[in-house]
Amino acid sequence: MAKAYNSYVKRDTFKENISPNVKIWPIFSYGLSAIIFPNIYLGLGLIVFLFILAFFSKLFKGFTKIMLGFGIPITLMLIFIHGFYGSKNETILYDFGPVQLGLEGVLHALKIVSSLLVFLGTFYIMNHTTYTGKLVASLTASGVNPKVGYLVLASLNVVPQMQRKLSVIQEAQTARGVETKGSLWHRFKVFVPLLGPVVLSSLTDAQERGMTLETRGFGIKNVKQTHYVEVFYTKTDKIIKYMLIGFFIVTLIITILMRLSVI
Amino acid sequence: MREVVVKVEDLKFRYREGKKRALDGVSFEVFKGEFFCIIGANGSGKSTLCNALVGLVPYYFTGNKKGSVVIDGVDTDNSSIAELSQKIGLVFQNPFNQLSYTASNVAEELAYGLGNHGVPRDEMIKRVEYVAKLMRIDHILHKNPLELSGGQVQRVAFGSTFILEPNILVLDECTTQLDPLGSEEIFDIVKELNKTGITVIMVDHDMERVARCADRIMVLDKGKTVCIDTPDAIFSNPDIVNYNIEAPDYVSICKALKERGYYSGDYKITEEPTVEVVKEALVK
Repeated sequence: MAKAYNSYVKRDTFKENISPNVKIWPIFSYGLSAIIFPNIYLGLGLIVFLFILAFFSKLFKGFTKIMLGFGIPITLMLIFIHGFYGSKNETILYDFGPVQLGLEGVLHALKIVSSLLVFLGTFYIMNHTTYTGKLVASLTASGVNPKVGYLVLASLNVVPQMQRKLSVIQEAQTARGVETKGSLWHRFKVFVPLLGPVVLSSLTDAQERGMTLETRGFGIKNVKQTHYVEVFYTKTDKIIKYMLIGFFIVTLIITILMRLSVI
Repeated sequence: MREVVVKVEDLKFRYREGKKRALDGVSFEVFKGEFFCIIGANGSGKSTLCNALVGLVPYYFTGNKKGSVVIDGVDTDNSSIAELSQKIGLVFQNPFNQLSYTASNVAEELAYGLGNHGVPRDEMIKRVEYVAKLMRIDHILHKNPLELSGGQVQRVAFGSTFILEPNILVLDECTTQLDPLGSEEIFDIVKELNKTGITVIMVDHDMERVARCADRIMVLDKGKTVCIDTPDAIFSNPDIVNYNIEAPDYVSICKALKERGYYSGDYKITEEPTVEVVKEALVK
């Protein structure tokens, strides 16, 4: 049977005690700060900070894997594009003969990569330290439309649902003598024809799901939705949230001053 | 005079892609606290009728609907399905259709409907514990609903409807995934709920169970009401075989004894009276 999607595993770290509502803020605060800041230093600093955060959140291995797995190929690709063919390249770092590696292009590529990695890293940490049910409960409690909350949860559950259907069809095929195991190419050939029925039946399921939800009161008017999972919002959460907002504002001010050449 | 909680008048419905009417002039009333069973062959319109009672027809199952369905004084045409869920609950034939697919464990799955109705968390926890114990799923509250067996999902599905405490419970062949013992357990619970005043409308193919539970039975055939009567009257009627309905074996036993002159009374439809009849026949 397919397991339900849930990247969250209880690890008893400080990060898990922060309200899920607050844990969304770093994605925007750090991510946007890395984008607007004129050079790469803030982005790189934030990446180092995120590695430390991941370590204390007991996520270091997985975090490193995803950051390097995404970061290395994208960095090489962007350095190749911007470093060799960037229109703003003036300072030549190395001359390869037909093409020259420009400093401005390399810095621009690193700026893009660092911003992307900050977004990716903050999202990874949030996702792995937050129980999705709690996140949705927290969001709806703070005024987000329950339909948006449902969309988040249902989207995360579509994958295991499709996996379940796929395994049912595969079992049915095996029972009828179709060989579903073997070489990669053979498995691919068996797998492709299943995609159509799986996707179509998932669409039918979506309609049935709507039916079920309504018969269980989803979308009832003039009722504030409540949740089984506990939603909390402490003083510490409030302080962290204001600190994150403050961080972005300070970055914005510094950026403006740097652009105006005041500092 | 008994209070009418479900009133269906001249209900006609044809599915958008259908050539014939799935329901063709169905009319009946169900009284408060009654155990009302609907029987009929496959394709007679039982499930369509159940869907009409909770408002899914014609909102989800689109087509041409005529006539009216009034639930506890509210016409289903003038109310949303979500609002109706406060009055009437449906347990689907396929329990996997009952899951919200938003919950990470059974406890959250059970509580999902309560959240939609704005039930406070403390009350929610109490109700989840009570229903989990009642449905014998308290040992799997932490499990993911997608990882359960068919029978366990059926119990969760039933619990998730019952937890909303609707006045009327509609059961559309809701024990198909359960073994006979599990199925009986669920029906014992349903009977207990019925005793507390909850109206039960049940669709089932197990005629012995229907005979044992029902106050009244409605026979449907090709979308039309054939008759509405007590279990004794329905199963004693030899014409019901014309509608592909087989009376409980007890009726056949009484009939055989009557033909051989060992018994002269009415046909019995449940186990205990039939045992008495057989005992009487053995003495003769």
